[in-house]
Amino acid sequence: MKRLMAAIGLSLGLGLGLATIPQSASAQGTLRVAVGTTLNQLDPALTTLGDEYVYVHLVFNGLSRIDHDLNVHPDLAESWSASSDLMTWTFKLRKGVKFHHGRELDSGDVVATVRRILDPATGSRARSNLTMIKDVEAVDPLTVRFTLSLPYAGFADIFGDRQMRILARDRLDTVSRQPVGTGPFMFKSWAPGDRMELVKNPDYFENGQPKLDAVTIRIIPESAARLAALDSGAIHIVWNLAYEAVEKLKTSKSVRVDSVPTATWDGLILHNGRPPFNDVRVRRALAMTIDKTALVELAIFGQGSPTLSPIPRSHPYFNKSVPIKGPDIAGAKKLLAEAGFPNGFDITMQVPQEREQRVRLGVAIRDMARAAGIRISVERVPFASYAANVAGKAQMYIDGYFARPTLDTALYPFFHSEGSWNKQLWLYSDKRADDLLERARKTNDDAQRKALFTEVQAVLADTVPGIIAYNAAHVNGVRNEVRDFKSTPMQWLELKNVSLAR
Amino acid sequence: MALYILRRLLSVALVLVAVSILVFAVTSILPANVAYLILGQFADPAQVKILEAKLGLNDPIWQQYLRWAWAVVQGNLGESMLMNRPIAPLLFEAISRSLVLASVSFVLIAVIGIGLGVAAALRHGRPLDHGVSVGTYLGIAVPEFFWAIVVILVFASWLGWLPSSGYEPLATGFWIWLQHLVAPTITLVFAHLAHVSRLTRSSMIEVLQSPYVTAARAKGLPERIVVMRHALRNALLPTITVLALDFGRLMGGIVVIETVFAYPGLGRLIVFSIQNRDLPTLQASILVVAAIYAIANLLADLAYAWLNPRIRYDRSIA
Amino acid sequence: MTDRSPEPGQGNALRSAAVASPGAVGSVPDAPAPGATASAAFERAPRKPMSAQLKAGLLITGVIVLLGLLAPWISPHPWDTISIKTRFLPPSTTYWLGTDDYGRDVFSRLLMGTRLSLAMGISATLISLAIGVPIGLAAGYFRGRTDELLMRGADVLMAVPPIMLGLLVLAVTPPAIWKTAVAVGLVYVPPIARVTRSVTLSLATEDFIQAARARAEGPAWILFREILPNAWPALIVEASLRVTYAILLGSALSFLGLGAQPPSSDWGLMIAEARAFIDTAPWIALSPGIAMCLLVVGINLIGDGARERLDPRLKTRTAKG
Repeated sequence: MKRLMAAIGLSLGLGLGLATIPQSASAQGTLRVAVGTTLNQLDPALTTLGDEYVYVHLVFNGLSRIDHDLNVHPDLAESWSASSDLMTWTFKLRKGVKFHHGRELDSGDVVATVRRILDPATGSRARSNLTMIKDVEAVDPLTVRFTLSLPYAGFADIFGDRQMRILARDRLDTVSRQPVGTGPFMFKSWAPGDRMELVKNPDYFENGQPKLDAVTIRIIPESAARLAALDSGAIHIVWNLAYEAVEKLKTSKSVRVDSVPTATWDGLILHNGRPPFNDVRVRRALAMTIDKTALVELAIFGQGSPTLSPIPRSHPYFNKSVPIKGPDIAGAKKLLAEAGFPNGFDITMQVPQEREQRVRLGVAIRDMARAAGIRISVERVPFASYAANVAGKAQMYIDGYFARPTLDTALYPFFHSEGSWNKQLWLYSDKRADDLLERARKTNDDAQRKALFTEVQAVLADTVPGIIAYNAAHVNGVRNEVRDFKSTPMQWLELKNVSLAR
Repeated sequence: MALYILRRLLSVALVLVAVSILVFAVTSILPANVAYLILGQFADPAQVKILEAKLGLNDPIWQQYLRWAWAVVQGNLGESMLMNRPIAPLLFEAISRSLVLASVSFVLIAVIGIGLGVAAALRHGRPLDHGVSVGTYLGIAVPEFFWAIVVILVFASWLGWLPSSGYEPLATGFWIWLQHLVAPTITLVFAHLAHVSRLTRSSMIEVLQSPYVTAARAKGLPERIVVMRHALRNALLPTITVLALDFGRLMGGIVVIETVFAYPGLGRLIVFSIQNRDLPTLQASILVVAAIYAIANLLADLAYAWLNPRIRYDRSIA
Repeated sequence: MTDRSPEPGQGNALRSAAVASPGAVGSVPDAPAPGATASAAFERAPRKPMSAQLKAGLLITGVIVLLGLLAPWISPHPWDTISIKTRFLPPSTTYWLGTDDYGRDVFSRLLMGTRLSLAMGISATLISLAIGVPIGLAAGYFRGRTDELLMRGADVLMAVPPIMLGLLVLAVTPPAIWKTAVAVGLVYVPPIARVTRSVTLSLATEDFIQAARARAEGPAWILFREILPNAWPALIVEASLRVTYAILLGSALSFLGLGAQPPSSDWGLMIAEARAFIDTAPWIALSPGIAMCLLVVGINLIGDGARERLDPRLKTRTAKG
């Protein structure tokens, strides 16, 4: 008996003692990144999650790219030009760009990629971004011409987006299992729910890049687990660090927090087509109960700033003259009474189960709205249920969107009465907004665009299609041995220049 | 004996068929639609219809079931609707990882549980006995996920001894792999110890008071022999029963434990597939779980019969 | 998950005979043969003083139940009012168990959560009883084909660990706490049915049942007027333990997001939400855990104590020895 106990004690001690053995270093120059959700798609055209975009950005390129300052630069296309009516666009491709399987990029690949996205059978979410394309053709091996059905100023910008990355036309069928792109890293293996291995692309067209030998993307759904792995060195970068961890890491000697403001927003979507929110007074009343500064604290622990629309405070076009006020309960009650709800009303609000910060947002809004008599009951639904039963149907629900590459793509599809997102969101329709957004599309003049977008924000603040609470910062947890890493407002990981200190 | 095993295997197969029907029936009432999940929230309804047709979601339920059942019998567990990959390799990898966790925990529960139970029985009524009782009881009075969080708090945050994330493949190094197993294993063991230790203890107490043991003592045999060879063997019989059931409990426990420790095993796969409405993966996973549990029960029965020939064939006891 | 009763799984014929009462807390013999005789003994024996175990159990559980019932009136602070300024406060004289990530008082939330846990445990068990007892009665009394069929059905349900069955049921519907209670209730129907069946089996051979048959009483009458009243003691003991399993399973399902919805202060949900802050504010997660432990211990003590009283023959096998 005693011996049995001793044996048990010994093995437990051994087990715990093992804990002190430090993590062994994997191959030098392999960067390990942790994300929170498993990738469901390897086909860029079908990706929808932020975690998937991380992979897409490392393995593929677009015709254009968006840098840290949100400026659009050439990527696979070395230049582009438009006709004066903005309806014909010509892109000149870079010469000598190699796909990961060895073949050089040509215009046929671009045409195939775009046609594929436009094909309804593919089922790409990005299709609605390209509805203005009437035709695409390969003029010569390095030139692609797009003919649009309407004038569109920011056409080149669209191609910096995630789903628009260029695929190899002879590898379209196997893109979900063995993806082939032109990016700085090549796909090696993928164990769903566990990890993806990428290796350096030795023929990457930007000289001297990438510096890393390999990148491993680990899926660790538990926020605490990601943090622990970062702390111990098992992970070098935690993508999209949980906001509550920021405080904790401030005192860390081995990890730093790298954050950047973005246009990513969370908000409350209101169904403008159904009672009670078809009445603008009710929408305004609800807005008057909200304290956006408090929401920033509660939902994202202060890592963001309140806003009026998807346009963030840091953007030069942000409308500073519209005040973001604190709550006015008396005013809210008055408006509700006018609209026929002197005693408030009861309503259900859906929140996405797997997104903690949005759940917090919902709970906070519920508490705020109570003061004016709007009694909300919170219902958490998994994302799949959201799509089928919530979007465009529910009276109110919480949702959030990643930053879009351009102001137009951030606003038009969402707020124009014909916008594709609008139809599945708040079903908002306002003639002034429509007019302003249409005019903004057609002009290339900066001063004019600023005036138009500024006014749109004022209209949105007044008519309250929904309540866009804040723009959230994008935060990454980074170990000190990672060199030259900068977070980008587009929320993917830019790893071309990154290296690991020995 | 062989006939008995055959009969049991047949009944296991029948139960599995029933479970598969049950699982299919329940999951087919899902309100949400996998097509929307794949395409994203604002999918064009036309695109959704195309995808639904492609995935065969429009056929009547019984047709879908038969198609699936036929495939399973041939060894094809289908393709995950979300990940566009065959389920079987996914599932078996997840199972192998879970089995590692479950087996190590199981062995430790058995060894430590029996050890503690015997020790407590031998020191019946004294402080050690009470200590063991209370200590192990705490394990089962509180849900496993709570202990998991406490383990993370104490061993990972405060002491920094253990990693709080659950898995590194064996390929990265034996010690590292082992290190990551420790925390989830500790939690599972602690949460289930009481079942085994209590049963062993009371069973042992009873056996120690039996005439059989008294006789052995009267013969002048050393106490150790009395305990180990005579008393223990009889006392263990009920414990085997509980151990088999405990394996089923362990499998239930890994669902929560794997979720908290981010251990990529079967439990986590099931939670994922439920969250994402990945029906084929869910159906296949639960079927496999039922199969494992059934086989565990069968093995326990055989072990029991081997240990106690008196009971072997007496099926009239119901 | 934490289903502690050594329920015989499929084909347990070999082992059921030997699962005499193990005496472990939470385990109930498949054949509590003393069913009828227990109650008879109960009536015949002189009133015993309550064991310390039973007293302790009643005290602990009683206090918790009382606190839960009075929660809306005795909570020191509102349980769902958000207040940024008071977030993450450690336990103090104002906030006895500290505050959480929304600034809400943990102790008040705990009190309100008590009602949810108790409601979950009791309602789920009632559902199990309502469905399981008739099934067990029928199986034990009519035997033969009915018995085979019903028990096979029970075997199928028990082929999958309880938590997975619960997950399966809840996966197909938007979560709500009442649905969790129903799911948990359904999951525990087979064990209740089995216990009822065992009791019925042993009772059915008793003299007074034969007498009733001789009097040409119909089966329904026999079942509900003769057998059931005598079966209750064993069932009550089993039911009281089921309440604890139901509480634990229900909290696990809430923990996984398939039960109560925010801002509810269901204990499982509280622990799940507190996970992110476990090292900065451990009190948010520890409080509901300890509360659950106390409640489960209390109910178990009652169950053990009750069993002790009802069946003196089991005395030698209880924890106290």
